[in-house]
Amino acid sequence: MMNLFKDARDYQIICLGLFLVLGICLRDWTLQINSILLIIITCLVTQIILSSFLKFNSEFININIPKKQGFYLNNLLDFSGVKSALITGLGLSLLLRANSSNILMLAGFLAISSKFIFNYHQKHFFNPANFGIIITIFLTKSAWVSPGQWGSDWWYLLLFICAGAMVLNKVGRWETSAIFLSVFIALEGIYNYYLGWNFEVLTHQLTSGSLLVFTFFMLTDPRSIPNAKNSRILWAIAIAFLSFILKEVFYINSGIFLALFMMSPLTILLDLIWKENRFRWQKINVMS
Amino acid sequence: MKKYLIIIACFLTFLFCFQPSALAFCGFYVAKADSKLYNQASQVILARNGEKTVLTMANDYQGNVKDFALIVPVPVPIKEDQVNVGNPKILERLDAFSAPRLVEYFDSDPCQPIGYMDALPSAARSNEMSQGRIQEKNQSFGVTVESKFTVGEYDILILSAKESNGLEKWLIREGYNIPKGASELLQPYIKQQMKFFVAKVNLTELAKSDFQSLRPLMIAYESPKFMLPIRLGMVNSQKEQDLIVYLLSSKGETELTNYRTVKVPSDVDIPEFVQQEFSGFYKSMFSRSHEKEGRKVAFLEYAWNMANCDPCSAEPLNPDELRQAGVFWQNSPYDNNLFITRLHIRYDKAHFPEDLKFQNTANQQLFQGRYVIRRPFRGKISCDAGKNYPQQVRQRQQKEAQTLANLTNWKLIDIEKRINFLETQTENTPWWRKLWQ
Repeated sequence: MMNLFKDARDYQIICLGLFLVLGICLRDWTLQINSILLIIITCLVTQIILSSFLKFNSEFININIPKKQGFYLNNLLDFSGVKSALITGLGLSLLLRANSSNILMLAGFLAISSKFIFNYHQKHFFNPANFGIIITIFLTKSAWVSPGQWGSDWWYLLLFICAGAMVLNKVGRWETSAIFLSVFIALEGIYNYYLGWNFEVLTHQLTSGSLLVFTFFMLTDPRSIPNAKNSRILWAIAIAFLSFILKEVFYINSGIFLALFMMSPLTILLDLIWKENRFRWQKINVMS
Repeated sequence: MKKYLIIIACFLTFLFCFQPSALAFCGFYVAKADSKLYNQASQVILARNGEKTVLTMANDYQGNVKDFALIVPVPVPIKEDQVNVGNPKILERLDAFSAPRLVEYFDSDPCQPIGYMDALPSAARSNEMSQGRIQEKNQSFGVTVESKFTVGEYDILILSAKESNGLEKWLIREGYNIPKGASELLQPYIKQQMKFFVAKVNLTELAKSDFQSLRPLMIAYESPKFMLPIRLGMVNSQKEQDLIVYLLSSKGETELTNYRTVKVPSDVDIPEFVQQEFSGFYKSMFSRSHEKEGRKVAFLEYAWNMANCDPCSAEPLNPDELRQAGVFWQNSPYDNNLFITRLHIRYDKAHFPEDLKFQNTANQQLFQGRYVIRRPFRGKISCDAGKNYPQQVRQRQQKEAQTLANLTNWKLIDIEKRINFLETQTENTPWWRKLWQ
């Protein structure tokens, strides 16, 4: 049991899975179980194939393949990224909607592939689920996200925050969420005050489940966000501003996702400015 | 204040009353709904493609027309040729086409197992809504009249204002009766640079026209904002108001982005007697669902491609009718890219703090509010195969009663009293009787 929770990704998987179950059972989302399975399988298969291919390739180049071991599947396949791929699959299932499973599978495939295509010094700079969502929406025109699907019940807010905080404590990237959320809330608050809407309008806008899933489970992916704390602070502020502008000036409903997508390449720049060792999921395991 | 202005409304503020219409389904009327399903209801059509929107506000204003006034915040300045008066029949048609429906199936004789053909659907009906109205009036200072024109029986003013107190005073000076608190609500729209569309009835024009009642107002505009202001309509009303929005899109279902959209209970078997009071049933069921969801969600009553329907509660709208409903992107009658979403929103001040914001999605999933009554076979059953039929029917009827009680919160005892349970005479038939036959 203790072993299970040493990896922060286990928390994420459990939380996202729980949200999915809650959404399906209590929020009457019209999600089909087989679509969810297909997304997850696509993510996993893509991850395993691509990372195995990379592994094979690099070993081949290094010529230090212990040939004697023979070509056993275990040697050939790389399962190390399976948990991350599962998180991506769950995240996509929670947020993305489409008419057909094919589109959802495409999103899963694109999401995982982006990790291998868009990387700089072996670090991918797009959040995979975010990349899958944005590209699928703009490319196919038959996928969408439903920001209203959670409703605005406080109960969910609390649940999200608790679960999110738990994950973040484990990962050590909580400041990204905290800063993004505070800046975004502040901007919305000021704008609402300027417009003269009352406080209820603000709270109604902010008690959106999608915003919280985004803040706590997408924005904090330690692998694709800037390595140094300073960069992350700056980065989170930039995303909050852009989200606000996309939402209030351009009336884009899912502006937060687009903002993250647009800001992602900035990670490279920020990492060059503030150097820091990059995050490894295994770190926690190694230390403990 | 002789004028009996009602609320300041924005769109919503202005209509009321729902009149259920009786719809024919496949050629039959089964029941007719009563004439007032909801006390206060507005009907709005939003046809949108890209950033182009045609908004139709239907209006069944019952008061003295000289008192009628309507104020709607609009995202962009509106010129004369962007405004039109619509055909009230179109709303009735859309309503009929999309209304929740009652369908009826007949059990076949269990002794003639030629096939349990899904029986003849017979009938349906529905409820509907029609419109109501409300109205408003306004006036004040520091206000720019951007344009002023007459369209059909309406005098239209497009106003922009620098600040809400000014607008309020201007409106009052011009004879509009504004409820207290209006200025506070007007302010956010002014700050967002929105304009105010103000309509009054031109009595001379009205006298000239053949129309007895006020026709719907239609506005065409282009803006990335896809919203419907409902807050203004709640200024002086604590009561819940019903709003039916028909959303026409070329892509698929339209949903709310800032409230949950929930499907009304559908595809349930209910007792036969509901046919006589379908509108009462629907009303109770809707209220119950509304309460169960905490009074803060929008209900999806219909989502369908306009090219077909199954079962049809009314003929699909023809291209000309669609054009009159604001559909501007269909060039050929064979275009098959029109999707209708019917949302039923019962809102009040406390549970709907924000105006409604929408998004068009590509969602092609079909949905309709559909309620089924199954008529038992009441003829003589003369075979072994039919032996268990009466019991099965009784069980089914019990279940239907329970379903109805759950959906509407009606008392189970009362429901059972009204059900014509099938006699289960088989048990009383002595076993030897058949032997001697």
